[in-house]
Amino acid sequence: MHPLLGRPARLLLVIASAAATGAALAWLLRLLEPRPWTAALAFAMPMQVLYSFVVLSAWWVCRRHPMSGAVAWRAATAQCAAALQASAVWVGMGAIWAVFLSRWLYPDLPRAAVFRDLGVLFALGIPLYLISAIAHYLYLAFEASHAAERRVLETEVTAREAELRALRAQLNPHFLFNSLNSINALIGSDPEGARRMCEGLGDFLRRTLALGARETVSLGEELALVERYLGIEQVRFGDRLRVERAVEPGATACRVPPLLLQPLVENAIKHGIQDRVEGGAVRIEAMRDGDVLRLVVENLVDDDAPVRRGEGVGLDNVRRRLEVFGARDARLVAVRQGGHFRVTLTLPALEGAAQEAAHA
Amino acid sequence: MPESLRVVLVDDEAPARSLLREYLGAHAGVEVVGECANGFEAVKAIGELSPDLVFLDVQMPKLDGFEVLELLDPAPAVIFCTAYDEYALQAFEVHAVDYLLKPFGRERLAEALARARERLALAATRRESPAAEREGAAEPGSAPPARAALARAARGPGRHAERIVVRDGAQVHVLPAERVDYLEAQDDYVAVHVGRDTHLKHQTLSELADSLDPARFVRVHRSFVVNVERIARIELLAKDQRVAVLHDGRQVPVSRSGHERLKELLG
Repeated sequence: MHPLLGRPARLLLVIASAAATGAALAWLLRLLEPRPWTAALAFAMPMQVLYSFVVLSAWWVCRRHPMSGAVAWRAATAQCAAALQASAVWVGMGAIWAVFLSRWLYPDLPRAAVFRDLGVLFALGIPLYLISAIAHYLYLAFEASHAAERRVLETEVTAREAELRALRAQLNPHFLFNSLNSINALIGSDPEGARRMCEGLGDFLRRTLALGARETVSLGEELALVERYLGIEQVRFGDRLRVERAVEPGATACRVPPLLLQPLVENAIKHGIQDRVEGGAVRIEAMRDGDVLRLVVENLVDDDAPVRRGEGVGLDNVRRRLEVFGARDARLVAVRQGGHFRVTLTLPALEGAAQEAAHA
Repeated sequence: MPESLRVVLVDDEAPARSLLREYLGAHAGVEVVGECANGFEAVKAIGELSPDLVFLDVQMPKLDGFEVLELLDPAPAVIFCTAYDEYALQAFEVHAVDYLLKPFGRERLAEALARARERLALAATRRESPAAEREGAAEPGSAPPARAALARAARGPGRHAERIVVRDGAQVHVLPAERVDYLEAQDDYVAVHVGRDTHLKHQTLSELADSLDPARFVRVHRSFVVNVERIARIELLAKDQRVAVLHDGRQVPVSRSGHERLKELLG
């Protein structure tokens, strides 16, 4: 649908401007061949209104032939051809209308004058069409720049949201509060342990901030962060927390978005350890299969585990950040089966240099 | 010297319990009689030991702190200890003595302990002179909280209970709401029918029904609430006398207004 035809108000504007040019045309025709105003207007007005709709067809030609770069000459040719056609169609319609008028309403107009009128129509028709085409091209360019601006804004917002989500997922305040409480407890019973835990917590926070500020990190760096995290949680949960690791050495060089695994491990601890009296094992796997990197975090789940508030938010965060990172080639699959909860991340296995260069 | 205060500590994290033990060790006349690492243990231990005061974590395996309280009759004086500040309002609803946010220091704990002693002393005077109780009935925290308030607190504001906790002597059952077939009023109790099992819960049918998801559980009769997903068909026995036949063949009576409610829900 043409943008001007969609709304009645705009349609009215088209007709009004056509009427104005119609009056101008009538004045021109009277100059060439004196005749009463009524005769001139009766011919010019309907013709001009008709033609203003004909020239709107430039819209479809413009969209079909974008005026850009290498194909610009083709667009220009197409538009000129269209202008000739439009003008010819106009002259044809003008001839029919002139015959009708001369036969029934204004029979005194000489035949030569009618031919001259049609000539004027043809001569005007081409530039009028071309002006319309130019206006349409300008409109399309305006639209395109507007859309591009909007896209840039949208991407910015999405990126910022992803960042915020990452940070929020990271600095879970309850983790901090509980860790501080553990340190508080250790100060009395095991001051040396309290010191180690302060150090561990400081190290974890520093790494979180450092990794979080980067576009990608190596899987090895992410796993090191996860290890710091597990070290702190080990103090809280003691024997209830066991960790199984199966990390292929070839996988650690791969690039991943920062803070991707840590929220998953945090989830696994929440459901697999905290909600279970006897605790359990959290399993972390990383393997590389050609150009695919597969990461797995698995924990046990109780069927009658209490329902936690905000459940699933962590997974959504990771999924979205994975999308930002790997687009179509990355995905997250979560399966609950036989008392196990298993999250599998699949992403393109990209090695250090190339990825860093892409972001440099 | 006041009489010794018997205390139970409930927290799933050992360091958190040892911290409480250490802090309490500095207070004369406080005796830690039990430590529990999860909700089940807590219900059992508190039931057996009837302590004066319980330090209770909120998020724990099996049962959370509020569910533990819901199962205890009478509910003991409670000081919540948690890293989550979002439960404070609920804690107030169940008349908790205090709400300690982790990490907390000695002074904060001493304050909570003093408050507990005050509350317990007040309760003791009331027991001795019933007249005082009538006068001070409006005093917050003195009257035991209503069971409905406890249940409401357990599930959090604006949420439906997704499970029903039932205590059977020393045993605690956690029944996911979607597994419940129907509820039946039996004097002061509600019989919760789950498959072939029947569990008795000390609560009124209205209170329990109100806590459940109204899109799933419908009061079909003065004494019955049914899980609509279990209904196979409705049979008309006589005028205005219907029964809901469940998928396993059991029948639940449906009153006239109950039938209206069912029609409204199922369309």
